[in-house]
Amino acid sequence: MRTFTRRRMLKSVAAAAAGPLGFPFLNLAHAQGASVPIGVAVPLTGNAGPYGPDMAEAARRTAAKINNAGGILGGRRLELFIEDSESSAAVAANLTQKFINVHKCQSCVGYWGTPEGMSSRPIVVQNKVVLMVSSAANAITEGDTQGYVWRFQMKATDWGIVIGRAAAGMNFKTVGILGLQNAFVLPIMKVFEERMKGAGVQVVDSLVYNPEQPSYRAEVERVFGKKPDAVFCFGLLPDFVSIMREVHRGGFESKVVALSIMADAEGKFVQAVGPQVAEGIRHFQPMPDVSASGYRKFVQLMGAPPDRLFLFPPNTHDQVSITALAMERAKSPMAVDWSRQIITVGNGPGQEVDDVVEALKLVREGRAVNFQGAGSTCDFTPNGDQLGRGMGQWVIKGGKSVFVEYAKP
Amino acid sequence: MISFLVLLGIVVCFSAILALALNFQWGLGGMVNFGLAGFYTLGAYACALLILKGGANTFVATLGAMAIVAAASALVALVTLRVAEEDYFAIVTLGAGEMLRLAALNEDWLTKGALGLAGIPRPLGNVIPAELYSYFLLGLAVALLLGTLWVLNVLARSPFGRIVRAVREDDLVAATLGKDVLWARVRIFAIGGAFIGLAGALHAFYYQYIDPTQFTNIVIAYAFMAVIAGGRGAHRGTILGAAVVMVLLEGSRFLKDVIPALNADQLAAIRIIMIGVGLILLLIFRPQGFLREHRLRVDLGDAATIRR
Repeated sequence: MRTFTRRRMLKSVAAAAAGPLGFPFLNLAHAQGASVPIGVAVPLTGNAGPYGPDMAEAARRTAAKINNAGGILGGRRLELFIEDSESSAAVAANLTQKFINVHKCQSCVGYWGTPEGMSSRPIVVQNKVVLMVSSAANAITEGDTQGYVWRFQMKATDWGIVIGRAAAGMNFKTVGILGLQNAFVLPIMKVFEERMKGAGVQVVDSLVYNPEQPSYRAEVERVFGKKPDAVFCFGLLPDFVSIMREVHRGGFESKVVALSIMADAEGKFVQAVGPQVAEGIRHFQPMPDVSASGYRKFVQLMGAPPDRLFLFPPNTHDQVSITALAMERAKSPMAVDWSRQIITVGNGPGQEVDDVVEALKLVREGRAVNFQGAGSTCDFTPNGDQLGRGMGQWVIKGGKSVFVEYAKP
Repeated sequence: MISFLVLLGIVVCFSAILALALNFQWGLGGMVNFGLAGFYTLGAYACALLILKGGANTFVATLGAMAIVAAASALVALVTLRVAEEDYFAIVTLGAGEMLRLAALNEDWLTKGALGLAGIPRPLGNVIPAELYSYFLLGLAVALLLGTLWVLNVLARSPFGRIVRAVREDDLVAATLGKDVLWARVRIFAIGGAFIGLAGALHAFYYQYIDPTQFTNIVIAYAFMAVIAGGRGAHRGTILGAAVVMVLLEGSRFLKDVIPALNADQLAAIRIIMIGVGLILLLIFRPQGFLREHRLRVDLGDAATIRR
């Protein structure tokens, strides 16, 4: 046994004291050195709070999968910096600055809501860093983004197209439209209204309402009071819960059609209003193709039951994967180089692969790949809009959402 | 890291200008402004629209934003003709602020509604190289903050400043002594409003994109926190308060980078709780705030010593 001298004792005490002190600095230094930092901004609090935790988990597991298989760029590990965007534009802008200036991230992913994406867009373009959003408003990718802004979601006008087409087949003669004053809702409403008129359906009223009102009685009475066959509601969960309570109280009989982030929201809607009020509501949402093997592998990666439907986390998985693939393909962690490779690895032409580790192996061998993600086929237009994501339709029966169909724009 | 601190510095500056404006209206003048978020919205939108739609340069737009918010504030202050009680006036400001916010959200033809205004040009944005711009903006923001502090200090120590405090302490006494209380209140609110407009313009320059979600009522909470923590009526204290609030808000994000046991999901909730707990502790252990109001330092200072 070793003797416990005073000198050794002092040394070990000093080392123990220096360890925790030095750790934070080591951690930051580490971020700028061998690893490849990625910023992940997701809503963990605020009105989109229910969606953030799974998006963060998807990013963690995807990065871990890539790291366990040896990382990218000759053994460099992906290091994630996950932050709460508080569903706020100003907070998201500050986070993007932190990602870029403190952690030296060249890729910022997540960004659930349109305000978060819009406020971060000028920052990434100035700093020549890639921004990957899950938000829908057309404005995010409009104009000159210099190839730094990429949408991993169907754009809002396409939502209107799919819902309009489905609604035209539902044999309604008259419809009303109720929409939240919100950047992603308004383009949906506009396109939907055009489609309804084109299909010969009479739009009895189209009303835009404000967020966070204590009551929506006036709005509900105005639109539902005209007794249309159906009312299409576009908004978010909190306003839709108030609206449906008013509809139930008023005894209105129009059928209700909504978005899944309103009428399902991970089961929160039925919890809030009860199965009786929710009965018969149809709802739509862009969703992954659940029959695709890329999606099935993702569900396994998340350790979830096979029938579990993830709406947004697959996008985060694809954002991390495309970042890794484009970097590997460009042989550079700098966005100036790899942002040009996003379309090359996403759209192909090349071998179709839905597993990021296999795809990375092929890219390293110098072969062309066409990555098929978990949330979509990861095909993009040159200005950063995503193609190939479809929309699901469900109907609530006995408090459960029953799947109806999957359609592409 | 340094560039992040520079950016944080800019945020602290415009938050401090906003808090100083509130301190002038409420801390010195006794006029509670719960419509702060609305007036701040007006300042940011006025500045952005004067540039984007009016074709003004950034300097003129900033002055325009200050004038517009000052005029709107003066109008609101006129209601004190009828509702002089502090509580009722607070409700009026709350209503006025909400109106301004809802106008920004719904008047699509002017404000682009929920989509917000993007691509707001910055002062000398074309002249100064992009990599140095944040340093310039910090310099500008600090200069404007010091300018605001100087103007408000001069005002607070002038004869008008004594009327301001007299109106706060007891408007009846001030009126009895021949002071025009309504006119004083209109001026207090308008001067505060001008600096709210300045803060709004800086906000627009910093983010280059404004939308209604940036101006929720949490803005009011942070400004009041800054004034309360800094010491109601104390200008330098208010700046310190704003700095502490902003550094706590942004700095607490670094906790999870240095304490690996915390994950982002937990920290998101803990952060907000911590800030609340911090304010409660401050109010328990230092209810008078960090610093004192300039003029009252001697009297209350003695009283505080005796109490201790």
